[in-house]
Amino acid sequence: MTSRSRARPAAGGGGHDGGIRKRGGAARTDRDGDMDMDGNGRAARSNRAGNSRPTSNRQQGRNKKADVIQRALGDARGSSQASVRSGKGAPASNLVDVAITGWQKSKSSAARDRTVDDLRSFLERRVSSQTKGPNIKIHKSRVEGDAFIVSLRPDLVERIRKLNGSLFAGNYITVEELNTTDTALDAELSNNGTSAETMDTKSKLATILSKRYYPDTKLLDMSKLSSDPDLQALGVFNSTSTQSKFFPALMKVWDMQFTTASEKHAAVESVSLASNQLTNIAAVTSLAQTIPNLKNLDLSNNNLADYKSVTGWRWKFRNLQFLDMNGNPLSSDPNFKDTLLKWYPNLQYLNNVQVRTPEEVAAQKKAPIPNQPPIFEDQGSIGEHFIRAFFPSYDNDRNELIDGVYDSNSTFSLNVNTRAPDSPTVKMITQLPARMSRTFKGVEKIRQLWNDLPQTRHPDLNTQADEYLIECHPIHNLPDPTGQNAHGVSGLQIMVHGKFEESVNGKIELRSFDRTFVLGPGSGAGGIRVVNDLLCLRAYGGHEAWSPENESIPQALQPPVGAIAPAAAPVTAPIAAPAVPAASTTLPEGYGVATPGKPETQVQQEQMVIQMSNKSRMTLQFSEMALSSNAWNLEAAWNNFEQLKAQGTLPADAFLP
Amino acid sequence: MAPPTEDQLTKVSTEAATNFVRTFYPALQSNRDSISSFYSETPAKILFNGNTVADGKAVQDIFTNQMPVSYYEVQSFDCQIINRSYPTPTPTGPKQPDQRTVKDMSILVVVSGSVRYGDRDPAKPQRGFSETFVLVPNATGGDHGKGRRSEYLIEDQNFRLVV
Repeated sequence: MTSRSRARPAAGGGGHDGGIRKRGGAARTDRDGDMDMDGNGRAARSNRAGNSRPTSNRQQGRNKKADVIQRALGDARGSSQASVRSGKGAPASNLVDVAITGWQKSKSSAARDRTVDDLRSFLERRVSSQTKGPNIKIHKSRVEGDAFIVSLRPDLVERIRKLNGSLFAGNYITVEELNTTDTALDAELSNNGTSAETMDTKSKLATILSKRYYPDTKLLDMSKLSSDPDLQALGVFNSTSTQSKFFPALMKVWDMQFTTASEKHAAVESVSLASNQLTNIAAVTSLAQTIPNLKNLDLSNNNLADYKSVTGWRWKFRNLQFLDMNGNPLSSDPNFKDTLLKWYPNLQYLNNVQVRTPEEVAAQKKAPIPNQPPIFEDQGSIGEHFIRAFFPSYDNDRNELIDGVYDSNSTFSLNVNTRAPDSPTVKMITQLPARMSRTFKGVEKIRQLWNDLPQTRHPDLNTQADEYLIECHPIHNLPDPTGQNAHGVSGLQIMVHGKFEESVNGKIELRSFDRTFVLGPGSGAGGIRVVNDLLCLRAYGGHEAWSPENESIPQALQPPVGAIAPAAAPVTAPIAAPAVPAASTTLPEGYGVATPGKPETQVQQEQMVIQMSNKSRMTLQFSEMALSSNAWNLEAAWNNFEQLKAQGTLPADAFLP
Repeated sequence: MAPPTEDQLTKVSTEAATNFVRTFYPALQSNRDSISSFYSETPAKILFNGNTVADGKAVQDIFTNQMPVSYYEVQSFDCQIINRSYPTPTPTGPKQPDQRTVKDMSILVVVSGSVRYGDRDPAKPQRGFSETFVLVPNATGGDHGKGRRSEYLIEDQNFRLVV
């Protein structure tokens, strides 16, 4: 197994060294034995290289463990979640195709094959020689007409382009990057077709789509495809191979007609796939990627017989309101209605019968206790730095993570909620399930288990923050590793809800997880240690549960209450909230920025004003008034603003031009 | 007194977590008058979906007055010892290290399950939740009727709907 990128995880912002590395030196605590929250005194400590263990022989144990989890989750869910991303290394879809032309001389095929081999080695040699490091191999290439097409990692494209105009076997070669969308289409429709044929196919598919699209009703009618004379003429139904490639290609062509995502989303509300003899949605599953926010879907008069045949869309189409499956055997299943109601929380009409009123849809979304943004109380950003560095490290180098912040008293445990979220069984809560967990204490035991667990990929916290819900607050009376404080020390409790992909026997599985950490002061990176790390895996359940019912201002930005602000603490955006949008108003010089002599509270207040202004579109002056009249409580100020706005009592000049 | 063994500690924590889960969720469902007795006098933090609640009494008020009947299903739970030598509060102040027994520990409990609000019909949609607790020893009071008394009380609670 080769290890993936070993890039040191970067902590977000603030100039903190948030990388997770073990550090020498004794635990640093403040006078009360609490966590070192100001991040000072760091420079004196020396780094020690991570103590990496050899990584061989891990796969076997890993698969065993993975199997158990796989079975536990897989059985509950019926079938595995399809994923677009491949497990290890660069996904194939990330490769860039580059066409080399002008090289061909010989007409005989034997000579041509030899020439292709020569050309490949020529390119490998020349690309490799441009930098030091391992030689570059071209693993994927093909000949199309006059072009030799190589698929390369994106970082190598620039290097091969430099070979444009080079002399190869007496000919000057031309090197051009292929348009990626064309290539994707090409790959999907490739039956030794040349680029010209592909372009032709593309325009034919576009014509077919235009005949089947009704902009007035926002309907894309893809019913009875096999009896479409244009498609028959294209020969897409001549072989199973072209048939399976045809629909994704059709979707790709549809995609290409739009320049923006919002334009694309606005174009279609309804899709018909009626009367297509579908026995499984596998052939058309890409619809869910192309038109994810579909409202009406007609699948009538196909041959869908069981839930398995449609399970690929189980977690898709979260906005589906109307579904017609008349004329499919599945419609007569006794649990049909109940199951589909659970699958699609917004569904109102099933097989042309109303199954839910709009009021019921609204009511079921409302939890008796309203959903509020995450609470993130994190003095000195210790929790934020920890969590930003944690998941990239866990995905890429668990050994380094263990050596960095776990110690002989750290505890890790893993349990699996094997119940599917929509399991029909009602179980009395007095019958508790067996605790399917084991506890691992100390660096070596945790290391052993982690090396056996499948490789994971968590969403990027910087770009996919909405897929996480992260909360953090102080916790007291933690064990004191130095033994100096009889009543223990203080630290942080962090609760993370999210998802990750893991690679199980070559298949990518999507999981949801809940992970609770207790962090205390210690000798690890950033002056912390992991006291507890408790991971619960469950079947994938999306992240819409915590999307705020109405967008509100993250409470994490509220000024600290009853706590002493650490001196010169870096003010960073809370991780649990989307990144702060760039200020669209011109800020006075130095506004919201810590400068010598400026009190910390002023910096924080200015930053809150910027936040408020960005969100409300009010001027800085009015934003400041709103905040100061609400005791600098962002949430209160926001509510107040919404109230005034609704009443129409805000003057026009309160808003940015 | 000899320090407790790992096995003893695991047994105490697992039993405490199991008893807690087994009594707390039924109380939320059908014994709401007893809810406050599950909480320590001054809990550090209580959060429900990002809403801060002051104490056990406030939680009980919310459940008795605002919450529809709720059907909880605990699907898995797990626990870990946080501090095996916890300064359990007593009327005369926190226990000193030499006064502590195997039971003086704080415990992290995480529960994963589902809840259905207001309707017993199993076909109605249920929501998935994740709930994290910190339990601490009950040295002083807390009695949820019928002479039963929790050995451990909620010091910290964070409930979130996650599905």
